[in-house]
Amino acid sequence: MASNAAAPFWRAAGMTYITYSNLCANLVRNCLKEPYKTEALNREKVHYSISKWVDGKPQKPTIRSDTPED
Amino acid sequence: MLRHGSRFLSRATTMRWRRPFSTNLAADAPVDSNFLESWRKAIPNVEPPKTPSAFMATRPETPSSIPSKLTVNFVLPYSSELSGKEVDMVIIPATTGQMGVLPGHVATIAELKPGVLSVHEGNDVSKYFVSGGFAFVHANSFADIIAIEAVPLDRVDPNLVQKGLTEFTQKLSTASTDVEKAEAQIGVDVHSALNAALTG
Amino acid sequence: MAMAALRREGRRFATPLISPNPTNALRSSLIPSQEPVSSGVRCISTQVVRNRMKSVKNIQKITKAMKMVAASKLRAIQTKTENSRGLWQPFTALLGDTPSVDVKKNVIVTISSDKGLCGGINSTSVKISRAIHKLNSGPEKENKYVVLGEKAKAQLLRDSKKDIELIMTELQKNPLNYTQVSVIADDILKNVEFDALRIVYNKFQSVVAFLPTMSTVLSPEVVEREAEAGGKLGELDSYEVEGAETKAEVLQNLAEFQFSCVMFNAVLENACSEQGARMSAMDSSSRNAGDMLDRLTLTYNRTRQASITTELIEIISGASALEG
Repeated sequence: MASNAAAPFWRAAGMTYITYSNLCANLVRNCLKEPYKTEALNREKVHYSISKWVDGKPQKPTIRSDTPED
Repeated sequence: MLRHGSRFLSRATTMRWRRPFSTNLAADAPVDSNFLESWRKAIPNVEPPKTPSAFMATRPETPSSIPSKLTVNFVLPYSSELSGKEVDMVIIPATTGQMGVLPGHVATIAELKPGVLSVHEGNDVSKYFVSGGFAFVHANSFADIIAIEAVPLDRVDPNLVQKGLTEFTQKLSTASTDVEKAEAQIGVDVHSALNAALTG
Repeated sequence: MAMAALRREGRRFATPLISPNPTNALRSSLIPSQEPVSSGVRCISTQVVRNRMKSVKNIQKITKAMKMVAASKLRAIQTKTENSRGLWQPFTALLGDTPSVDVKKNVIVTISSDKGLCGGINSTSVKISRAIHKLNSGPEKENKYVVLGEKAKAQLLRDSKKDIELIMTELQKNPLNYTQVSVIADDILKNVEFDALRIVYNKFQSVVAFLPTMSTVLSPEVVEREAEAGGKLGELDSYEVEGAETKAEVLQNLAEFQFSCVMFNAVLENACSEQGARMSAMDSSSRNAGDMLDRLTLTYNRTRQASITTELIEIISGASALEG
């Protein structure tokens, strides 16, 4: 039973709600029984490449891959 | 009345044909017509894009008497577990504790914490463990529960839960940075909730 | 307009191997091959036509195969999309849909595909994004783009370079899932300041129909402001808030979650539309190739018969010259 300060503690550490909820979901998925577990973990693969632009110039693109959470 | 009800029918002119996925169409009149008009003025050659309200069925108005059943929509990103199901009560794990929702409940927005969601219909109770999300209860006895991951309790492996709990409790004590502490704390919370759900 | 584009696409695809207007070109601008042609008679050699037919047939096979591939990918992703449709509806039911909200900082998230040959959907998305930019421009108003996908990147780079904030590509390496899209949404939230996010995508209505759609997600401050101003969101105040300490906390979490869910649905719908558009583009391309093949076959037969006739004439006139 989380106390009322549960929401802020992860936000104080710099996480957004999305990161927090993905983390929770990941933990739950890891506790599943076998056939459900592999099927759930297939739902977690991440891969994309992001490049930030400043003033019309692209900066070096970084690839984020295979980490469900940031 | 700001519910979608009455205004929709008057905007039938914006929808030119019936689409298979939407039933009572037309968007919310004042906002959408502003958009359509300003679009047409600024960009006359291009068709305005559709907006989400065009694709949604309308929700009924708040009835004057309390209805007998609660209509529940329980959705996950990869499926809709329950959609439009009429039940007697749902108990949702809000961050402030287990909250029971009956028909006629006051309109509420609740953030969910990892815990057990139970849906009561007559004598059937279905329980799911949800990892987190939001629940909206509307004044017209509609409840929307949006979770990221929800599993029936029998799919959870108790050994993995115990292992996780010990692992994260350990991490919590050895954690140094804020982020690590937060992650470990989250791990402990989730696993203890799982544990409680399995045993309780 | 769309059909012309598809046809152009089909012909453009065929062009590298075949010059445009093959039947006319064959008559006029071709270089005859090494097959002996009797002098004084202008005709095209069958060799060239045969080569052309072979390449058109190959193209037809390739486009047919691509269509099959797109059809199978569409099947897989369509179920996912339909399942995700329930995800954004509660948010619209709660917060309403406010496309005409007036804000200072608009961020336009354009979703497009990485690969081409999918008909006109990417151009439509870009056109709508540009229109939204124009619609929302004015003093003190700022519009930025976040681009997902190579195709929109190429188009938006041409004239809106300075308004681009983030570009993300290579999204479809793994099958699309909520975790991936939410990490992307998280990145956008962390890197871009916004008052309102406008997500532009093609909604998948059926295999041949894609509707350009724009979803709006407001930042928590704007939600507060609109709630106080009344109107659609005015009801928001009547909702009691459970959880966390302040209403603002919950609203912020809600806004982030809403963005992530709406993005998820949008990306899936766009992917579905992409596969559907590719199917129809490849289908019209293989049909075009089939037509072209028919015309070439006729030309081939005519050429063949003409050369046979010529030979016969020579033989007969030679024989009659000898006799008489």
